Order: sequence, then structure tokens, then C-alpha cells
Amino acid sequence: MADDKDVLRDVWYGRIPTCFTLNQDEVTEREAEPYYLLLPRVSYLTLVTDKVKKHFLKVMKAEDVEEMWFEYEGTPLKWHYPIGVLFDLHASNTILPWSITVHFKNFPDRDLLHCPSNSVIEAHFMSSIKEADALKHKSQVVNDMQKKDHKQLWMGLQNDKFDQFWAMNRKLMEYPTEEGGFRYIPFRIYQTMSDRPFIQKLFRPVSPEGSAHTLGDLLKEMYPAAIPNEGEQKRYQVVIHGIEPLLETPLQWLSEHLSHPDNFLHICVIPTPTD
Amino acid sequence: MSLCLLDEDSFRSSCKLLLQQSEELRDSWTWEPGSSEEGYLKKIALKSVVIDSSLKWNLIDDDEGEAADVCGLSEGSSSSQVFQYEYHIVYSCSYRTPALYFRACTLEGRSLSLEEVWSSVHPNLRLRLKHCPLNTITQQEHPLLGQPFFLLHPCRTQDFMRPVLQAAHQQNRSVNYVLTWLSVVGPLVGLDVPLHYSISSSSTKPD
Repeated sequence: MADDKDVLRDVWYGRIPTCFTLNQDEVTEREAEPYYLLLPRVSYLTLVTDKVKKHFLKVMKAEDVEEMWFEYEGTPLKWHYPIGVLFDLHASNTILPWSITVHFKNFPDRDLLHCPSNSVIEAHFMSSIKEADALKHKSQVVNDMQKKDHKQLWMGLQNDKFDQFWAMNRKLMEYPTEEGGFRYIPFRIYQTMSDRPFIQKLFRPVSPEGSAHTLGDLLKEMYPAAIPNEGEQKRYQVVIHGIEPLLETPLQWLSEHLSHPDNFLHICVIPTPTD
Repeated sequence: MSLCLLDEDSFRSSCKLLLQQSEELRDSWTWEPGSSEEGYLKKIALKSVVIDSSLKWNLIDDDEGEAADVCGLSEGSSSSQVFQYEYHIVYSCSYRTPALYFRACTLEGRSLSLEEVWSSVHPNLRLRLKHCPLNTITQQEHPLLGQPFFLLHPCRTQDFMRPVLQAAHQQNRSVNYVLTWLSVVGPLVGLDVPLHYSISSSSTKPD
């Protein structure tokens, strides 16, 4: 059970100061000022940028506007990853505010999912929660919930209501005490160095001998290069919610406390900056 | 019921069998290897499809709590057009089932939109789509390629596979999980599985 409420709050209220700038090639009637916003790490880009869109539409003609999308230093940003994951993965070691370019043309079909409305975000969010529960409880908890309970999870995220969300999400974080954790830990390990978007496999929180698996154990199995050998220089940073948790941290605890609202533990492996 | 679950090794051996048959039947499935042992089955097919443009999909939220629904049967034209479909069978470790990813484009290379895909599915699936389109087929990131694909959502797979597998188990018949599953879900999105697959599989039954 997730009981460390301060940690849950800190994770929920994590913000990234961001500067949105209109792409230079967009046709405008006058110059577009940049727009500044504090982005919630646990939310989705397309869910929290209504104001950004409104701001830039003021200087554009309706016929020059197609679906809005975002880019950071040439990389189209996948709205279906939580904002914090996008930042940690692509922009961890840059100067704040995070500078995002806004586009209204040439939607990169081959890279990004379309996001025509909030119900598409909701469907994506709920399908992640269902997938996570399939891993944690063979779908039993999420299937026992009613439609209004699902709605409560979504509305909690959409309206940034910590208590509303967690009143329901705590059910998804329960497990039988004698088992010492979930059936499997819902996690994804991201890296920018390969075409493959992320690693996701089955991994139990407790070893067959009964000891708690740690973050280090998970990485050793899924991404051994992320752990430095004895006496070797650290080549990678392992980042969750902008911090580098100790590799000795029990995975079950991380899953309960540092998972995103979609119930997945998103782990970014990024090259250590060379300065 | 562990009977209804498919582990990754069985997925691969199921796929291998299907590939052998595909070769015999001159179907065009291929195995695309990923990193290490992972990979997926792939097939590209040209298909003439009718997109029912009289269906209007409403993706804007309303107050009823229904995320999206289909409405209004206006007078629309439904003409048949040729599209290139690309189907991938990928293993889902979360649901421990196969998952069907696909994308489609016109011969000029324009990608089909989600609404167009919804309007082109088999009428049997349209009923379910009417109620909850966004729980049935959505655009999702391909887990191995990182590109947008349509996904027929796999969370109900166990429900319809259970009776088939149980019956086969009772009768001591061997079943190719992936093939049986594909024969159910494929036709919903335009992928026909020739009957010859199951004829040849019963004649060349492994042990």
C-alpha cells in the first residue's frame, strides 16, 4: 500500500517551467510572442496546452492552422508519454525553461499519434491503467471498478485533483501482504539511443528466494549497460521524475510511489553529460 | 486459467508453424526479427475496401460521460477504394496474448485516419465500435518500431480464446493459438485467413 503521502504529493505536483515558441515557418499576421507555462510532470502535453494553442491562434489565420504538435531540438514530442518522461529523456541536462517549439503544419504522421480530442488522451490513459493492472493483479482490480471509478481516475488527472485521483488509485496499489508485492511490476525503460521506444517485460518485485528486487536488479536484467562496472566511470544516468533514485531502492516501493498516474514506472536511461 | 495464456516461447513457436503453412499456401507472412529473441509476424496486402462515409464519428466529449460515439446517418457516398494494408502480429507480455497492429495507406501514400479505419471495419465489429470506439481500435505506438499503428485492443482476447482452447483441450486436439486467434480478429479489420490454414494444420498435425 502506498502510504508515504509526502512522496506521492511531491511526485504529483512536480512542474517544469516551459517556454513555448512558434515555429518560424508558420504563417502569422504579426509576430508571435513566446508563451510561458508550468507543465505538470505527470500530465500530457496535449491535455495542458489549450492556453498555448489559444495564444498562438491569435496571430494566425484559421486556414493556416492544422493539428498542433510539439518539437524539442528537432525531435517531435510524443504527447502520449507523460510530460516528465519527455523532459527527462530529451532535455534532462538543459537550461530551464525548457524550450519547446509549436507547430501547426506538416504533422509528422510517421512519428506521432494524432490527438484530435481529450477523449483520445483519456482512452490512452485508461488503456495504460488497464494494462498495468493486468500486470499487477491479472486485471482484477480494474475490472471490479465501476465506470464512474474509471472516470474518477481520469477526472483527477485532468483537473489536477490529487485527492480525487488517489482516493481511487490506492485500490490499484494494493496487494496481498503475504505476497510482498504486485504480481509483476508495470515498468518501461526508455532510452534515446535506439529505434526501439522502450523496454517492457515481465519482472517480479520479489525474487524466488523471497528477497525484494531492487531498481539495480531490474536494470541488471533489462539494461545491464546502465549499471557501471566496479571502478568504471558512470556512463548513464537512471532518472525517474527528474531524480536518480539509489539502485538499492526496492522496486515495489518505487512502483507504488514513483509510478505515473497511468500506473507505470517510467525509467529514463540517458548518457551522463560530459562537461 | 493458465490454459488461455500464451507465453512468449509458445508465441514464437506458434508463429513459426504459421509461417511454414504460409509458405506452403503461398501466403505472404514474414518474420521480422527485433533485438535478441523478439520479433513479429508481418504481412502486406492490397485490399479493396468500402469506407462508409455516411458514418460520422463524434470524438468530442459530451456530458453523458460517453467519450465518443457514432451519430447521424447522413446521405454519404460509399465507394470502394484500393488500400495497402500492413499487418503486424506482436506479442503483448502484459496480456500474454498476441496483438494485431496494422496501418493502411492509399496507393498514393496517404495514411488512413482513425475515423476512416472505424468506418471500414467488418459490420460485426461496428456494433461494438458504436458503443465504445476508443476501447476497440485506437492509434497506438508500435512497441518495437515506435511508429503510429492502429491496434485492435487485446484486453478481451482471453475471453474469446478460452472456450476454443478448453474445447480443444477436452478433445485432445492441438491448437495453434496464433492462427486460431488470427482467424477471429483478422477478418474484423480486413485480414482474411484462408480456410486452407486449418485444413493443412489438421493434416500435418504435430505429434
